[in-house]
Amino acid sequence: MTPDTTNYLILGYVIFSTVMIAYLLSLSVRNRNLKQDIELLQELEQDAQKE
Amino acid sequence: METTPRALKVLDTISAIMFVMAIGMVFFYAPTERVMGQVQRVFYFHVATAWVGMLGFMAAGVAGITYLRSSNRKWDIVSLAAVEISLVFFFVAIVMGSIWARPAWGTWWTWEPRLTTATVVELLYAAYLMLRQGIEDPDRRARFGAVYTILGFISVPVTFLAIRLFRTIHPVVFGASDPGAEGDFSMTPPMLQTLIFSVITFSVIFISLFWHRIRLGNLAEKVEQLRLKMAQ
Amino acid sequence: MSDNTQAISQKAQAESKDSFGFFRALAAVVWKDLAAELRSRELLSAMLVFALLVILIFNFALELDPKTRSTVSSGVLWVTFAFAGTLGLNRSMSMEKDRGCLDGLLLTPVDRSAIYFGKAIGNLIFMLLVEAIVLPVYTVLYSVNLFNLGLILVIVLGSIGYIAIGTLLASMAVHTRTRDILLPILLFPVAIPVLIASVKASAGFLGGIPIDEIMPWLNLIIAYDVIFIAVAYMVFDFIVEE
Repeated sequence: MTPDTTNYLILGYVIFSTVMIAYLLSLSVRNRNLKQDIELLQELEQDAQKE
Repeated sequence: METTPRALKVLDTISAIMFVMAIGMVFFYAPTERVMGQVQRVFYFHVATAWVGMLGFMAAGVAGITYLRSSNRKWDIVSLAAVEISLVFFFVAIVMGSIWARPAWGTWWTWEPRLTTATVVELLYAAYLMLRQGIEDPDRRARFGAVYTILGFISVPVTFLAIRLFRTIHPVVFGASDPGAEGDFSMTPPMLQTLIFSVITFSVIFISLFWHRIRLGNLAEKVEQLRLKMAQ
Repeated sequence: MSDNTQAISQKAQAESKDSFGFFRALAAVVWKDLAAELRSRELLSAMLVFALLVILIFNFALELDPKTRSTVSSGVLWVTFAFAGTLGLNRSMSMEKDRGCLDGLLLTPVDRSAIYFGKAIGNLIFMLLVEAIVLPVYTVLYSVNLFNLGLILVIVLGSIGYIAIGTLLASMAVHTRTRDILLPILLFPVAIPVLIASVKASAGFLGGIPIDEIMPWLNLIIAYDVIFIAVAYMVFDFIVEE
C-alpha cells in the first residue's frame, strides 16, 4: 500500500516557493534601491558641478 | 545599461514558460512512486536546485581564478553573483532533500556525503560573505574573495571524497534502510524525462538569474564609484 | 621589533641576489618568531593554557569513562588542537601586523612566498610544541596510552596541512575588523578534509586497526598537505600585494 505522503510534498514545494519568491523580491528591491541611489548621486554630482 | 537588454527579457520569458511546464510535469505527468508516495515528487526540484548550486559553485571558482589573473573587477562581481545564487539554491536543495528523507527513510537528516558536503559549501559561502563584509578596500576585497573561492573550489571535492571514504569504511545505518541511496527507487521513463527537463529548466533559470545578479552587481559598483567621486 | 626588521631587511637585501636569499629570508622570519617567543612566551603559554582548559572541559562534557575514552580520545585531541592552532595563528599574524613587521618584510626584494613559508614554519613549530605537551598530559589524566608512533606521525602530518592553510587564511583575516572570530569561520570549512582524515587515522592507530585500513586516511592527509602548500605558494603573492 502506497503511503500518503502528500503533506511532505506540499511542505517541500511551499518552502521552495517561499525561498525563491523571497530571493526574487530581494533582487528587485535591491535593484530599485540602487537605481534610486544612482539617480540621487548623479543629481548631487550635477549640483556640485554647477557651483 | 539602465533598461534590461532584450536578450535577457527573452530569456526571462523562456525561463518562466519552462518553469511552468516543469511544474506541470512534476505534478501531473510523472507517475506516483509506489514505495514512498507523493513526496517523491520533491526529488525533481531537489536535484535540479542542487544542480544549479553546483553550477554556481564552479562559476565562482572559475571567476576567482580569472580575477586573479586579469585584475578586472567585473570578475569579482561575477564571483559574488555566483556565490549568492549558489547559496540560495543549495539551501533549497538541502531543505527539500531533508523533507524528502523524512517520510522516505524516517530521518530528517543523514550524514551522507552529498548532503554533508552541500552543508560545508553553505558554510564556505557564509564565510566568504563575512570575509568580504570585513574589508573596506574594494580591490583587496576582490582579491581575498577570489583567493577564498579558489580554496573552496579545491577543498570541496576533497571534502566529498573524505566523507565518502568515511562512510564506506564505517557504513552508518540510520533507521530501517540506508538513506544514502538516492537511486533507491527505480525510475520509469516519464520520471527520467521529468528529471531531465527540470534540470534543463533550472539551468536556463540559472543563466537568467546569474545575468540579473551580475547587472545588479554592476549597479552597486557604479554607486560605489559615484560615492567615491562625491567624497573627493 | 624595528631593529630586528631592519636587520632582516639588510640581510635579505644583501643576499637576495644569490639563490640562498630565499632560504635566508625564510630562516630569518622563522628565527624572528622563535626569538620573540623565547623572550615573551606569550603565544605558547596562551595556546597551552587554552588547550589544557579545553581538555578539562571535555572531561565534564563527555563523561569519559575508561571504555569510551579510547574511542573518543582521537576526536577530543583534534578538536583541542584545532582550536589551539587557531589561537596561535591569530596571535602570530596579529603581532605581525600590529608591530608593522610585515611591512618591513615586504620592503625586501625577496620572493613573497619566503614570508609565507617562514610564518608557516614558525606557526607549525608552536603548534607541534603545544601538541607535544598536551599528549603526555592527556595520557596522565585519562590513562590512555598516547605514546604511539603512528599517532605522532598523524599529528605531524595533520598539523602541517592545518597550519599551511591556516597561515594563508590568517594573513587574510588579519586585515579585517573581526579577525579573531573570522579566522575559524574561514578555516574550518576548508580544513574539514584534513581534520576528518587526521581524526580517523589517529583513532586507527590508537585502536590498533590494521595499517592498510588506515592508509587511505594517511594518503588523504598527505594529498591535502601537498595540494594546499602548492596552492598557498601560488596564491600568497596576491594576498600581500599592495
